[in-house]
Amino acid sequence: MTELRALLAAELRVFARDKASLTLTFLFPLLFILIFGSLMGGMGSAEGRRLGLVVAGEDAETLRSVVAQIGQLETTEYVAPADLDAAVTARDVDFGLVWDGRTLTTVVDVRRFEENSAYEEIARGIASRFNLAIQGREPLVDVEKIVEGSGANANWLTRVLPGILAFSVLSAGLFAVAGHITSMKQRRLLDRLVVTPMHPANLVAAVVVSRLGVVFASTLITLAAASLVFRVELHVHWVRYVASVVAATVGSMGLGTAIALVVRQPSSAGSLANVLSMTMMFVSGIYFPVEIMPAFLRAISAAMPLRYMADALRYATGVMDMSPARFWATNAVLLGLGVALLPVLSRYLVRAERR
Amino acid sequence: MSATLAIARAQVAVTLRERITLFWFLVFPLFLLALMTLIFSNVGEDGGDMTFEITLVNLDRPSPGSADFSAGIVEALRHLGEARAGGEDPLFALHVPGEGVEPHAYLDEELAALRVGTRAAVVVIPQGFSENAARAAFSSRETVSSKLSIHTSGGRTSSDLAASILDQVFATVDREILTRLGLFDASRSVVLARREIGTQGREFRYVDFLLPGVVLMGFLTAGLFSVPGTILFGREQRILRTYWVTPLDVPRYFAGFALGHAALCALQFGCVSLLGRFAFGARVDLLQPVPLLYLVLAAATSLAIGFLIAAVARTGNAGMAIANIINMPMMFLGGLFFPIGELPPALRAAMLVNPVTYLADGLRASTGAEAGVLPPIATVAVPLAWIALCLGVAVFRLRLDEKR
Repeated sequence: MTELRALLAAELRVFARDKASLTLTFLFPLLFILIFGSLMGGMGSAEGRRLGLVVAGEDAETLRSVVAQIGQLETTEYVAPADLDAAVTARDVDFGLVWDGRTLTTVVDVRRFEENSAYEEIARGIASRFNLAIQGREPLVDVEKIVEGSGANANWLTRVLPGILAFSVLSAGLFAVAGHITSMKQRRLLDRLVVTPMHPANLVAAVVVSRLGVVFASTLITLAAASLVFRVELHVHWVRYVASVVAATVGSMGLGTAIALVVRQPSSAGSLANVLSMTMMFVSGIYFPVEIMPAFLRAISAAMPLRYMADALRYATGVMDMSPARFWATNAVLLGLGVALLPVLSRYLVRAERR
Repeated sequence: MSATLAIARAQVAVTLRERITLFWFLVFPLFLLALMTLIFSNVGEDGGDMTFEITLVNLDRPSPGSADFSAGIVEALRHLGEARAGGEDPLFALHVPGEGVEPHAYLDEELAALRVGTRAAVVVIPQGFSENAARAAFSSRETVSSKLSIHTSGGRTSSDLAASILDQVFATVDREILTRLGLFDASRSVVLARREIGTQGREFRYVDFLLPGVVLMGFLTAGLFSVPGTILFGREQRILRTYWVTPLDVPRYFAGFALGHAALCALQFGCVSLLGRFAFGARVDLLQPVPLLYLVLAAATSLAIGFLIAAVARTGNAGMAIANIINMPMMFLGGLFFPIGELPPALRAAMLVNPVTYLADGLRASTGAEAGVLPPIATVAVPLAWIALCLGVAVFRLRLDEKR
């Protein structure tokens, strides 16, 4: 027990001294939230969108009244289409509508490709009502949208946040082995440790416990920052949250072990872990929804553990529903991966020939 | 001259020999270009090549002889459940209650499936839909309305995309009903059009937007990580001290370093451009005089920032931490991968002092791929100001180092 305590203290001290790891674990998730939260926080919602309007000819007043009925839009009128183009280019307005008495033209800046589908949806809604209004008709059918499940109020940031947490957990677990331990092996620090009475399992246990502590601290700080700065409301189910974080951390360390075992040089493990984590970050639906990707990338995504870690954390934080059976099965598989591979890591620590 | 070339050669060799540096410097930009282009190749096409699991529960049972408006909706959704042109999978996999199945019980089951993500959306046409729609057509809206429900699953993008497609389908329902009742004058129908701006008259493709961004990202990464890494670890390992006892002086050291950095940037630019052009069909031409000048300016700016980090950091690890911290805000607030929209004042200020913002805008505008947002003079002046500032501080600190 004394041995484990000493190793644990040493692990935490080493981690606290490693500026790069500290930055990656604590600062990166916060930076991601601050930057992406500000850049994309309002994505997909009609609220506060700025519409530029050029109206001429017959039915101009009808169009103005339809736009006013849509609500949630800040509208600015321009005299000529060229003025509207300049305003859209300068981002004084988000998109524009030009009515010349016969044609209703939606004006979009193609460089805002990630937001244009939302603008065009608003424009379609206006066009549909206007088409009826100029014939003196009101809409006959109310299309009511009902959001089911716990994520009814989830906006872009609320959906992304559990993914950012999952990526933090993955990085911490993966690089604890394919980075920290492999670097100790590379620098022959393990050679010194294995000639002491230390049992390799105690070192593995110290790394696991220290990383779990770091991961909990990091994810809770990130959650608190998102809640305070961006008023993100999450309904965290703490039992599920703890289960997900533990399973994902241990599972990621199992993945790190698998990487350490397949590379010839311990120093290559970090590079391979970097490639793997970056690939997973992009194709697992953390920042970009899997649904917008082509079919073959969606198939690759389905094989990525990070996707399941993120889904489990979305469920644990009340962002998305899933069946409890699927949630526990996901965690059991991740935990099983770690539990099966960590004893192999113990043997890796004392194996001299793979230096 | 030979000393300058030797420093340049050493800079290139050190970068290419180190696996981690090589990964971030060469492999990562190629990887990012490929991945982002593939991911965003579907953007703008609703649903892309996806098939959405949609449930339709039609509770409307119009009396015999009266108009059946729900049948039109059912038909439209069935049509979307058929294979698309070119043999592609259908947009919708449509689920409807089977013969003899109690529709309300079926609806409950399907809503449960929707909540756990097995369905993307559930459409409910309520009882009396056709009757209410016909009544609404002939009376005032205040007294009669007909409802149609789209149930979606919270927190799921597939559900949002499906709802957006369903919205487009249902946007024409009113018109269809009025037309069938002879109450819609098609000759007065609004003609819809779409006009794109911001491309200088050329078709917009994401890869043409991304390619200049990835090239600049590569230059920035090389400047932020490789330059301070070489200098600071060289300082820690006392390699710099050995330089200063030779006839090599600070200006020639800088010149050699700059030459090596330029060679690395050229290599990186070549690889990224070739991949973009031949693998993803990028048409943006960066090999024109003005874009090339912007690329030289970008390489010089990244080099200068690298020197600044090397000058202010005490150790190699501290330098890498600083580089890590400023790298991400510079990339994302510089609009390298996505255009930047509205920002809160603090981030807007950060964006406006970020040299990458100006380089990206100037480079893209100079290729003709899109219209620039910033004044052209600023896209040159701001990076030049950064170079002057960074080099001033770096030379000052290195001279101190030389005197010690």
